[in-house]
Formats: sequence, C-alpha cells, structure tokens
Amino acid sequence: MADLVQTTVLPSEGRKLSRRELLGMGGALLLGGGIATGLRWASQRETLRAEVFIGKAAHYRSDLVSIIREGLSTLGITRDEVRGKRILLKPNLVETAHGESHINTNPTVLVAAAEVFRSLDAADVFVAEGQGHRRDSWLVLDESGMGRAIDEAKLSFVDLNHDDIVRVPNAGSWTQLKELFLPRAVTEADWVVSLPKLKTHHWAGVTCAMKNMFGVMPSIIYGWPKNALHYQGIPESILDINATVKPALTIVDAIVGMEGDGPIMGTPKPLGAVVMGRNFPAVDATCVRMMNLNPFGIPYLAQASNHLGPIREENITQRGEPIAALRTSFEILDAPHLRAVAGR
Amino acid sequence: MCKRLQGVAVLNEEPEPSVLTDLQRFGHTPLVPDCLIPAPFHDDDCAMHLQTIRDRLLAAQREGAWGYTPGNSVAVEPTCWAALALQTQGGESARVEQALDWLARRQQDDGSLPVVPDAESPCWVTGLAVMAWCLAGDGRFAAAVSRAADWLIGTRGKLLPYNPAVFGHDTSLTGWSWVEGTHSWVEPTAYAVLALRSAGQGEHPRVREGVRLLLDRAMPGGGWNYGNTRVFHNTLRPFPGPSGVALTALADEPGDARIEAGIEYLRTQLPAVRSPMSLAWGLIGLTAHDTRPTDADSWLEESAERSLRRPPCALHDALLLFASLQTCPLRRRAVETVHG
Repeated sequence: MADLVQTTVLPSEGRKLSRRELLGMGGALLLGGGIATGLRWASQRETLRAEVFIGKAAHYRSDLVSIIREGLSTLGITRDEVRGKRILLKPNLVETAHGESHINTNPTVLVAAAEVFRSLDAADVFVAEGQGHRRDSWLVLDESGMGRAIDEAKLSFVDLNHDDIVRVPNAGSWTQLKELFLPRAVTEADWVVSLPKLKTHHWAGVTCAMKNMFGVMPSIIYGWPKNALHYQGIPESILDINATVKPALTIVDAIVGMEGDGPIMGTPKPLGAVVMGRNFPAVDATCVRMMNLNPFGIPYLAQASNHLGPIREENITQRGEPIAALRTSFEILDAPHLRAVAGR
Repeated sequence: MCKRLQGVAVLNEEPEPSVLTDLQRFGHTPLVPDCLIPAPFHDDDCAMHLQTIRDRLLAAQREGAWGYTPGNSVAVEPTCWAALALQTQGGESARVEQALDWLARRQQDDGSLPVVPDAESPCWVTGLAVMAWCLAGDGRFAAAVSRAADWLIGTRGKLLPYNPAVFGHDTSLTGWSWVEGTHSWVEPTAYAVLALRSAGQGEHPRVREGVRLLLDRAMPGGGWNYGNTRVFHNTLRPFPGPSGVALTALADEPGDARIEAGIEYLRTQLPAVRSPMSLAWGLIGLTAHDTRPTDADSWLEESAERSLRRPPCALHDALLLFASLQTCPLRRRAVETVHG
C-alpha cells in the first residue's frame, strides 16, 4: 500500500457537499477539519487500480481457513511473501453486551487468519487492539470470547492503548497533525492486518478496513474516546492513520454485520462473506456496494479515491464471488450527514 | 502496622518557611490513618496471590518508576498508582519516595505532568500525581502539589453547543478532558475532582462543577461509561471501570439517586467481573460508599491469580493492591479524619 500513498490532496471534480449536509446535527464535535469544508465527490479521473476478493461464508462454522487461504492465493500473496514476517492482527473490539456478538470481529475469523499466516511460515502472529470506548481490554477480551480464542490458539495480545509510544511523521495531510503517536507494536510489525467487522457507523457512514485502523491509535495519547482525533475530523484522521501506518492487508468479517445505529447500537445483518484485499479503499468501497450503500457518499472514501486507492467500481478487479450475488441492503441511520451514504 | 507510612511521611523534618504555607494550605499529613489500613498480605494466607502481585510490582520498578508493562518505558500513570498502592501497603517507603521524586522530576514548568516523559502533552495524569503526593503527606511535595492544582484549576474541557437531538449529556458543563483542548469526559474529570479534593480544594467552583458533570453523565439505568449517555436515539451502555472511578469521586457527596443507581449497577455486575482494572475500580468505588461486597477479597484473589497467568501489567497490579484496602483513602471523610 505504501507505493500508492500520496501525501498531497489533489484537486478533484464533481459536486461539493455542503458543510451543513456533512456535519448534520452536532457533528461538529467529530468532523472538524478540512474535509468538512472541502469534500468533493471522488475524482472522475481515478487512475489507481486494485484487486478485491470476496469469499462466501454463510456462517462462522464455515471453513474459514480455506476461504482465507484461497483469498490470499487469489490476491497473489505467497508463502515467500509471508515467511519470516511479524504479523499484527488487528480485530475490531469495541464493546460487549449480552447477546450482541455482532459488535466485534468474530473470534473464529481471527483464529482462522492466524492459522493461515502460521501455515505460511510467519515468524510471529499476534493480536493487538486499542479500544476507543472501553479502557479495560481484558474485560472486553473476556466478555467477547476473543480472550479465550486467543488463549486456545496460543496467540499473544498487545493492548495498544498502553504500549510504548513512537512518534512518526504524519504521512498524510488531511488533519493538522504534523506527527502521529503510534504504539511500538504497530511500528515494529512487518504487516498490520486489519480484521474489521462490517458495520454502519453513525458518524463515518460505514466502518470497515480503514476505520478499523482508528483502533491502533493509543488512547493514553488520544483519549477514551479518541476525542483528540475527533477534533481533527474523523474522515481526516482515518485517512492520515491509513497513510501513515500503511496496513498490508484486510480480511473483513462480513459474515454477520451490523446495520442501523452502528458501530455499537445497531442490529445484526447477515451478509455471508469474507472480503479481502491489499488496498483498503478498494475493499471498503466493495463492502459498501455489498451493503447497497454509496461509497461516494462516505467522506473518507471519497477523499481516499486516487490518493490511497481506487473506489470506482471499474477500477476494482473483483475476484471470487460477484458483488451482486451477496448484495444485501443495510439500513442506515436517518440523519442529514448520512443521506449521501444511503444515496437519499 | 502503625508504622507503615512513617517512611514516606517525613513530617519530623522541619519544613522551609515557604513550604509551610503550602503545607497549611493543603493540610499535608498522611491521608491514610493507620486504623484504616488492612493487615499486611503476608499475614493472611488467603491473600497469597495478592502478595505475589505485590512482589511482582516491586520487582518491576525501574529508575524509581514503572512502565505499563515491565518491558516498556516508564510512564506517569503506572508510577502514580504503584506509589498510591504501595503507600497503603506500607513497608516500602524508600521505593515510594523514589517514585514520588521521579514524578516531581516529570513536572513541567506549568505544573502539569505529561503522560509519557518524551511528550509535552497530554497531561491528564497530573491529578494522579497530586493524589500520590498528597497521600504521602510529604512536605517536600507541597510546592509541586500547589503548582499541579493550579494547572488543574486552569485547565478546562472544551464545551459544545447543547444539542439534545444528538447528545444526551449537558455539553455546557465544564470538566476535564483527556487531551487539552478537547471535550470533558468522566475519567479525567473524576481524577481532577479527587486530586483537587486531596489538595484541599474540594469546595472550589471547578470541583463543584466537575461533580455536577459526573452526575449528569450517569446512565439513566445506573452506572457510567466513558462519558456519553446517549448519541442520537440510543442510550449507551455503562461499564464497571468508569462507574467505579465516578463513584469514588462522588463519595461523600449528598445523597443522589444517580449515585445509588451506580452503586446498584456495580453490585450487580462485579460478581461476574475478574479483569483487574474493572474489578479494582468497581471495588474502590463501592468501598468509597461503604458498600464493599463481602466477597470482595475473594474476587480480588481470583483476579490476582488470573493476572499472574498473564503478562504483567503494573497498572493492573497496583490497582488490585489499592482495591484490597478495606476503606478508600481518597474519600473526603478519610482526609477529614486525619485533619480533624
């Protein structure tokens, strides 16, 4: 992904969303930066291209190891490429509530990914997360079932909120931040692999591969919630984090997603898919299409277009299952700042 | 047992006259009366795992301070909690003094302490350092406490336009933020309230407004989360940890249904919680309200036993030790017991 990153925002063409439309009701808390005043539709001249793999997985008892293995193979990821690498698996762990397992990445997806990377001779595979709401990682691990899965798979866990801090230059330029503070585990990993849960998001529109990277930012620096980044703008922060961290791969848990008031209060929505790719904007745009939503209406995706990756359908080479075979309409919160996401 | 704090309370030394003013201002004497301190762990076979936790915490001290984990750089928050916990356990006065000195060296010109030594901000840990210094009752830190308290009083969380269609809380109340220049949240506000109360500023208008903010952020069904009660249409969920933090800061406040509901929330939740941070904070909060569950000690032992099977975390270990106290030394009544 690193070779696709450009650090300057290029002029683009198309309809300009109004600030009122974007900010909606009270969103000023969360959308404070340049995109709020300068958002445009994705460039019509998008030149970047990427591949995305969609695997069908009707439920969590599916053979996820085989699906992920097929996905890696389809994307051209070989044993030679994985061998010797330290792989950081970043699930989406947010909150827990009884009977609400659709909030977090399902542990079976994470364990399957770990098994595949180990089988490809990765030097180390470990799990890391820095929740934005709940400070107590161990409680979230306990209650989500992720902790037991990690233990049984003999994986280690790094609490990114309390890891050593490394200052790095901000490789993006969407926020006003000159540098970002990253956990040491993130800077020392060879590959950061995003394992998001596919959900609607009441501020960002959708949370998937790119938004999941918010969770690598250490909360001892950015707060619980990571409010210092909210003030820089959620879309802008998503873009800068992805441009700087340069995650290598995403494996999306789209088997059961969330619709409505995501990312924590929505309802389960089965989609039956595992979506994979090296290019995050391309994967996110594909997932958004599978949700029957509009990727051009999502500020961070519109801005990522042609800078971090492609989001136009004709520039994304679809592998595995076709989008149409799995497309399922997701309900999204009826709020002014989300109407472009729903295509209303 | 009565000698536990003597090593860290150097009140037998004659303070400088300029320091005396601060000592009088903040009423610096140890905030943990001997009668409140539990029997040492090594006297109690039932506390075997907590004793090991204590040993592990002591072994993790480096350069006078602690990192979140033994392999990590030292940081202010785990050092504050280790100092707080070890002060209440007694017998490690030299270690505690090293930690308090280390914290004093981290203090910046404006009185704040940054969360990690090589960054100037954020400084939400400043209140924790105040608590650690005040608990020691060591006159050497009076000036540091004064400067930190001034910084806290001058630091305000950012307000937002009140919009009940979006947020359930009163965005016009000023508390404290995690990061300077951002909105106020439960945990940093509670730390600031506790710190300023420890520093003798419990009636300061900023503290009173902080208390109102904490009450306003209580969930309708009881308990607290990080500080959002409702976003758009949905009421959010409370968590044990922030509930304990908020309740501790609200100890000795006049009776309020929101406090009672928070206590009930924790009494319902904690029997199933064994993660160190949430269990410890939950028990600290209940203890501050004289509602410590009878099974608290066995829960702490179970949590300690589990913690010993996981990679060590100084913050967790210190919180478990602090929660083992049978009373809460951070509450106002404990301070008043000492100061008469």
